[in-house]
Formats: sequence, C-alpha cells, structure tokens
Amino acid sequence: MNSIRAILLLIFFITPLKANTIYNLIKIPNLEIYEINTQNKLKYFYAERPFRLGTQKNIVCSNPDKKDLEIKYKTIHKNLSRYSYNYLKKINLKYIVMCENLSISELYTAGIPDNIMKTLILDIKFNEDYFERVIHHEVFHIIHLQHKEVFNEEEWIKFNNSKFKYAECSTCTKNIGLDKYDKTKGFFTEYSKSTASEDMAEVYSHMIFLKKNDINQIRKLDPILNNKISYIESKIKQIDTSFIF
Amino acid sequence: MIKKIEASLSEKFILIFLMLLGITTLGIYIVLKNQCLFVKNFDPKNITFEKPNNIAILNAPCGNVIIELYPNISPNGVERFKKLIISNAYEDIAFHRVIENKLVQAGDLEFGKKGSLDYGKIGAGKSELGTIKSETDNRFNYVRGSVGLARTFKNDTEDSQFFIILQDEPLFEGEYTPVGKVLYGLEVLEKIKYQRNSEYILRPDFINSFKMLN
Repeated sequence: MNSIRAILLLIFFITPLKANTIYNLIKIPNLEIYEINTQNKLKYFYAERPFRLGTQKNIVCSNPDKKDLEIKYKTIHKNLSRYSYNYLKKINLKYIVMCENLSISELYTAGIPDNIMKTLILDIKFNEDYFERVIHHEVFHIIHLQHKEVFNEEEWIKFNNSKFKYAECSTCTKNIGLDKYDKTKGFFTEYSKSTASEDMAEVYSHMIFLKKNDINQIRKLDPILNNKISYIESKIKQIDTSFIF
Repeated sequence: MIKKIEASLSEKFILIFLMLLGITTLGIYIVLKNQCLFVKNFDPKNITFEKPNNIAILNAPCGNVIIELYPNISPNGVERFKKLIISNAYEDIAFHRVIENKLVQAGDLEFGKKGSLDYGKIGAGKSELGTIKSETDNRFNYVRGSVGLARTFKNDTEDSQFFIILQDEPLFEGEYTPVGKVLYGLEVLEKIKYQRNSEYILRPDFINSFKMLN
C-alpha cells in the first residue's frame, strides 16, 4: 500500500506544471480568452490549438478559423445575451468554449454541456442552417443536468402517443434531422424522437427561437406539443420565476 | 642551504584568482542561503491604516504580509476568515499549493499542520466549522495581491483555505469569494517555497502567525 502511495506521489510530483488559469478553472487545455467583459458575465474562450478531453481522451475539438470565429462569436453572443446573469447563475453556465469539429468517440456533435464545470463547448461549424437554435438546445442540456430533479422523463413520455417509443440513446437512432416538421404531431423535429431529453431540448429551443405567435399557433394545432410546451414553461419558471420565453 | 623560491607572476595571479573565487562563492552561498536578504519586512506599528479593525498580519518566513479585509464585499467570507485568524487556527499551517509568480495557497487545517503534514491528502482538508456559501455577486477586481477563499469545483464549499494571487487574474471575478487584498509585503509571498514541476510542495513553508491588528 505504501509503495503504491509512494509511486502515486512520485508521478504527482514529476508531472509538468500547467499554470494556466483557464485550464485550472474548467480543465480544458489549449484555450485562450475571446471575450470576458459581457453584460451577463458569460466568459467566451476559443481553442487556440486542438484539444482532447475525458478519461479516454474521446472528446476532440480543433481550433477554429479566426474569421469564422469572429462571425460565429457574434451569433453566439447575440443568442446567449438573452439570458440574464441571474438565470445563468441558476442554471450554472458561465463559460462558453468555441471550437471546430467537436466529436465524442468520433461522433460529431453540436455541443457538450458540463454543468459541473459551468461550461458549454460549442462547435461553431455544426449545422449552419440551425446553428442559432442549436445553441439554445445545448443550453437546455445544461439546465437539465443542473436541475435533474425538476424534469421528470416518465412524466414527459406520457405526453406522447402510447404507442410511441424513444430510442435507447440519442446516438443509437437515425432520427437526427433538425428540420422543423410542417405537421408536428407531437414533435418539432425528427431529432425530437431520439430521446426524452433531446425532445425536451428541442421543445425548449423552439420556444426560445420561434416567434410567440408561431408557438401559440402550434399550441392550438398540436395538443401533444401544447402539453410539452406548458411543461417546459412551468419547469423553467420553477427554476427562475422571472424568465420570459 | 635552503634556497628561497619566489612565486612567479602567473602563480601570484592564480593565487589571487582562487582567493577571489572562494570569496565570491562564499558570498553567493550566503546570499542564496538567505532567501529573505533583500525582502523588506513591514512593521504594522509604523503604518497608519484607515480601517485598522480590518487589518490582518500574516507572518511568513521572510516577514509580514499586511492584508486589508473587505467585509462589505463578502461579509460571510470575511467573518469566517477573521474567526479563524482570531482563533490562531492558521499558525504553523503550510503554504501547500504555490505556483511561481501566480499564487500561494494555504489554510488546510486538517492535513497541512506542521508536524502532521499529510502529503497524500493535503489540500482536501477542512476546518471543523463547515462550509459557507460563495459570495461572488459583488464586483471585485482580482488584481495582484487579492486574497480569496479557495473551494472545490462546486460553489458553496468555501471553508478555511485561502489563496493570494501574485498576478492579475480577471477570470477569478465571480468565481471565488474575495476577502481582501495585500497592502504591504507581496515580496514576502514571492519568496514562499515553490516547485517548478508541481503546484503542491514537498517540505513547504509555513505560516508563522496570522493575527488581526486590533
């Protein structure tokens, strides 16, 4: 036991020192500050060099092109500026990491939320058509992770037609389309049908992204989505009474 | 008959050179050995403070570090910090985490006490007072010399550990509970023992004493 302890200590003391504040705060290497003086106190970082994360180093992302970054930062900032400092504090989101070609175990993804580290990693090149809405989709995942007790998936599943079943996981289905259905029938997009959590995130992101009139119209025409929208609305109010969709 | 041998000029030069080398080596050894040689030690008795009740004096191996506490910014954090200072809890506690020119951290009352250091656990120790809530909403510029309460990755886990930064850290604002700022003696902290290859220190320096001025 003592020898194991001694070896661990030795490894510990010969590990090179990473005296990087960003790394110390969110444990992601190779990041630089993009903007930290924002009204809602969100801090934006970008990958200066590619980075790998996770115990298996299976999360990978590359450094973005500076011009792309400049354009996408404006879009991300505009969308996230609608969240107040108090709201962000309640959902535990503080750091935005911008990079390119984000993947987990070689599966490309739009974002990776980490509520413990208060961080959302965003792929600035993911799906240009739905980029803005996807930002809010990923924000919902942070909310969900932070307030797991608030969102009851069993309750959510009951909103659907009794014959409907979600897939086992968000990556074990081919239902990944993000186009909004013309006839919704309980789901905003094909991707909504992947898992309850993704369905919630799709509803949330549409509630943020669509105009109030469009949402009201959907509520009138689609009783399932009406229930889902009411559910998300009430749960978000539970987290922050002052939040307005 | 013994013939007196005169040293040649070159031999005289070598002798003088060796003597100078010896003196220089001795001088350098003395200077290096005394890491505190050029560090000014501030005596709080010779300084007038605007708010003497909020002044704390930390005595480290190279002298005094004079800190002003900010109860208006973090009332609960400062209250906890003061409580531990007044109870002499920080005496003989290690500066267990030191990053050259970046920060010094101390205050592990459980595993960082002189004589009973636990290298396997240092940094994870607690006081017996429990954790307190983070106070990060008020504006505070984390400039060189700022003092904050350390915590785990989660908020509201501040206890007895604190850090003092040796360079500006704007990202610390809103992240850590600020409790004060060093007014005098930052050079003392720059002399705290550090290691280039690790944040955690083998055979660390210790806080000699930490007291409130009044």
